[in-house]
Amino acid sequence: MSAGSELKPTALCREGDGLAIDWNDGARTFVAWRTLRKACPCASCNEERQKPPDPFRLVSDQEVQAGAPQPAKMVPRGHYAYQIVWNDGHDTGIYTIELLRGLSAPR
Amino acid sequence: MQPGPTANPALDGVRHIIAIASGKGGVGKSTVAANLALALQMHGQRVGLMDADIYGPSIPMMFGLGHVDPHTANFPVQKFGLKLMSLGFLPDAGKGVLLRGPMVAKWVGTFLTQINWGELDYLVIDMPPGTGDAQLTLCQTARLTGAIIVTTPQDVSLIDAVKALNMFRQLRTPVLGVIENMSYFIGDDGKRYEIFRYGGGRKLATETGVAFLGEVPIDPRVSQSGDIGEPIVRTHGDTPVAKAYFAIATAVIDAAARAGSEALPEVQL
Repeated sequence: MSAGSELKPTALCREGDGLAIDWNDGARTFVAWRTLRKACPCASCNEERQKPPDPFRLVSDQEVQAGAPQPAKMVPRGHYAYQIVWNDGHDTGIYTIELLRGLSAPR
Repeated sequence: MQPGPTANPALDGVRHIIAIASGKGGVGKSTVAANLALALQMHGQRVGLMDADIYGPSIPMMFGLGHVDPHTANFPVQKFGLKLMSLGFLPDAGKGVLLRGPMVAKWVGTFLTQINWGELDYLVIDMPPGTGDAQLTLCQTARLTGAIIVTTPQDVSLIDAVKALNMFRQLRTPVLGVIENMSYFIGDDGKRYEIFRYGGGRKLATETGVAFLGEVPIDPRVSQSGDIGEPIVRTHGDTPVAKAYFAIATAVIDAAARAGSEALPEVQL
């Protein structure tokens, strides 16, 4: 597929507790911040997801103070992804365009 | 001036960022990058050359430059009308660089974000071989206009060139085309010798659907010029090699103008 015909977002905008995305194929999708945070594609979050759930895990002070996941910043990375800096300080997740499309639902 | 190709302020004044890459080492990426940058400059463009080969920086030597005092020097360093940046300018670089991937990525990121490149038509980036941290950092930190894949004609080089090409496609970075280096040699007897076979670059371009930007013949004066610190497009501008670079520079200018891949939209938070 040539670069010109690839799936691309044309606009991304906060809407309530999530992100609304307009796409170049005419679709409009929405994904909650919580869904994005849970699906963080960084190596440490991937590793964490592969472990069995730990019911005794203590929530860190930073997580408590941050509350519900909210993006402090969301910036384009090159031509292929966005990086989200979360309100709990976590910032290593690079969300590819394909991942954003896959996580978001049509509306 | 169009908006810069990146949200990174250090690159706001740069119109086109072009990575010179290959999957395999030893195909002459640095030589191609140095001569292409100069050929673009000799076409009247404002050009910078960033040496992202952190493990083996060779741009300072190719431009007759040595170490500088990082506390007093102005980066990027200027030579032959180009703006240059390389880890090889730093005195400690000569001691050998033992770095894990994250440190390589840090240096590449530093060159892209902390060096004041100013107003440039082209920033040519000489990449290290491979498909690793440096490449990923580059594609994440700068919105590349495109990448150019350098290969030598033989199959063993093409295998790795395909990997590099696929990596850029995966990162949605346009591939401007393929350059075949060390294509052939014309002996004193006037005969043409295809030392590393011939035509692999064009074959790669055809099979992957990208442009073939040109072929550069073998000429011992290329390495002589590199070693004395003045690339061949300046020292022997009338040779077939230099003429090949001037033609490739024109093809790159056209390809960059066509690439025009739009930046991803900013997020309204």
